[in-house]
Amino acid sequence: MILYDYVLSASCYKVRLMAALLGQSLTLHTVNFHPAREHKSADMLALNPKGTLPVLLDGETVLTDSADILRYLTRDAPEWRGDDDPWLALAADLNESLGMARLHDILQYDVDIDAARAAGVKQLRKLEAHMTAQRFDGHLFLTGAVPALADIACFPNVSLAPDGGVSLDTYPSLRLWMRAIRSLPGFIEMPGIHRLHELEFPE
Amino acid sequence: MDWVAVGLCEDVPARTVVPRRVQNTDLAIWCSTAGVFHAWGDRCPHRGMRLSHGFVRGETLSCIYHGWTYDGDGACVSIPAHPDLTPPKSICAAQYACRVQDGTIWVALQPTQAAVPELGARRAIRSLAVQLSAETLATRLKQPFGPVITLGGAHDIALAVQPSTDTDCLLHAFAAPDQDRKAVSLALEHLRDELEAAA
Amino acid sequence: MSRSINDYWYPVGLLSGIDAPHATLLLGADITVGRTHSAYWVTDAAGKALPTIKRFGHLWTCPGTPMDDLFTIPEADTAGRQLVDVGSVRVKCSPLRAVENFLDIAHFPFVHTDILGAEPHTEVARYNVDIREDANEVWATKVKFFQPQAAKSAEGGITTEYMYRVASPTCAVLYKTCPPRPGEWDVITLFVQPLNEEWCEVWPWMALYDDDSTMAEMVSFQQLIFMQDRSILENQIPTKLPLDPGMEVPTQADLTSIAYRRWLKKIGYTYGAQLVAA
Repeated sequence: MILYDYVLSASCYKVRLMAALLGQSLTLHTVNFHPAREHKSADMLALNPKGTLPVLLDGETVLTDSADILRYLTRDAPEWRGDDDPWLALAADLNESLGMARLHDILQYDVDIDAARAAGVKQLRKLEAHMTAQRFDGHLFLTGAVPALADIACFPNVSLAPDGGVSLDTYPSLRLWMRAIRSLPGFIEMPGIHRLHELEFPE
Repeated sequence: MDWVAVGLCEDVPARTVVPRRVQNTDLAIWCSTAGVFHAWGDRCPHRGMRLSHGFVRGETLSCIYHGWTYDGDGACVSIPAHPDLTPPKSICAAQYACRVQDGTIWVALQPTQAAVPELGARRAIRSLAVQLSAETLATRLKQPFGPVITLGGAHDIALAVQPSTDTDCLLHAFAAPDQDRKAVSLALEHLRDELEAAA
Repeated sequence: MSRSINDYWYPVGLLSGIDAPHATLLLGADITVGRTHSAYWVTDAAGKALPTIKRFGHLWTCPGTPMDDLFTIPEADTAGRQLVDVGSVRVKCSPLRAVENFLDIAHFPFVHTDILGAEPHTEVARYNVDIREDANEVWATKVKFFQPQAAKSAEGGITTEYMYRVASPTCAVLYKTCPPRPGEWDVITLFVQPLNEEWCEVWPWMALYDDDSTMAEMVSFQQLIFMQDRSILENQIPTKLPLDPGMEVPTQADLTSIAYRRWLKKIGYTYGAQLVAA
């Protein structure tokens, strides 16, 4: 499988993280998204007319939507699947709010920044309420006691919220949820999401 | 205010650190591997990096920037760039008084003889942020301003109020032990919506 | 006569990226950067044209009276190098904090874990630092550090040698051991455009010997590294760089930063600096 990838993209990271947790190997084709805008080059548009990343290539299969790619990677891993559609829809909303706020703050995307952040805070509050209820039931993850596609879809843009000027300081349940994901065997980091250094220390 | 609640113990499990703000003072609240809670200024003396981004190993907290490591007394015990150096005693993190009572972490920014406020026979529900100053919050609840606001009602809710900034506070909510935590949590969500919407 | 902050050259755009007029900030003032056919230009808020220089793939301007030419990097001109336009990233921090972080190696094991450094190889050996009065630059030489993956073209851990050069208050150059070309130095720069005292736009640029990596891979590597730094830079208290001793505690590993702060004070460059402990 070849992933057309940009190192700072939250959506590309979703795919890299999902594959890493599943133990699947991806051949990364690095795209110069910034500053060269290679995702809009003729070659890339031939592959994906939308001109977006990520793009996953597996034989004849070409997937250009991160939700579709996550479904594809987990097609033989039912333990990661559940009622995924609402969570993938939420992940898309998070990308429009927190994700765009981040692109505004880092790369000067033309975004209504106040609206993007306010929408992000609303979604974070909903997620926090949900994860708080999950913890009352003894669950560490969005859909239960074990990690699922839903978690991986939502994790990147939530964790990277501070990049777009949205603080995560006052979301205790989300912080523990993010920590649970960062503790998973096979977890990989991206810039803005540090690894848990304490894990490498033998107690 | 003498003692201010800054979080529920269950939200800061062993080997974690969280940022909290009390009256514009940035704090790093952390719990050691043995379960000892600490409240420190959220600033590594080396380069000013927030210690709340750091990591807990054993009974120490380390800064994420250069790995400078501080023991339970706030004294720097290791500077990884100089492994053979014993750090001078003068290098230490700012420490604040920290107590645990009723499953809640309490901090005093100034030395105090006062007792930690009582929450009655209630159990912790959750913390939630409100985009209002602590004073405005009390006014809108028609309650006297203080570290704990008792709302009573069907759930017998009490709120320990953490004044974060001039525009924000963090509420730590408690309710009668027989109440369903999910129901109380939902009631708190609605209460927040009402309070923030009230002009 | 000490020069004002307005009399230095600052980067304001990538030559390859400047097209339609683009409004930005420099030292807290509005400027516009644009291109008319092949002529690049910068104007201030009043519409007055500011002087420009094209160098290192970037457009540079000076809002005051440039007292001398923009510095040069002769090593970057040698044949066979890949000149890498890394682009820019905005950071909510003092421009001086961004430069100081670039001069620091002790954070590699914790911030760039398994790439530029890794525990337990955390020791910073003594190195040389001097303020070169003739060139008015700060240099650190014989800086050595263990790196698990020193560059895109490096495989396995090696002890890498560096030289750091502060060529102007907001611009630093790093010369680094070049795995495929022993005896040569890779050139990695950090050019900082001060938007204001607590907000900057950072333009990394590189001149590397690397025949194995694609341009996209080299850009990606440097953006990865800098974005790992960004989460540090936006969380230092205070946001401005304290120049007075007492607020922060340096050690021997921080000799470059000590010299940088001392030099900023000496030349009177205090934009983005905190002079009195708050």
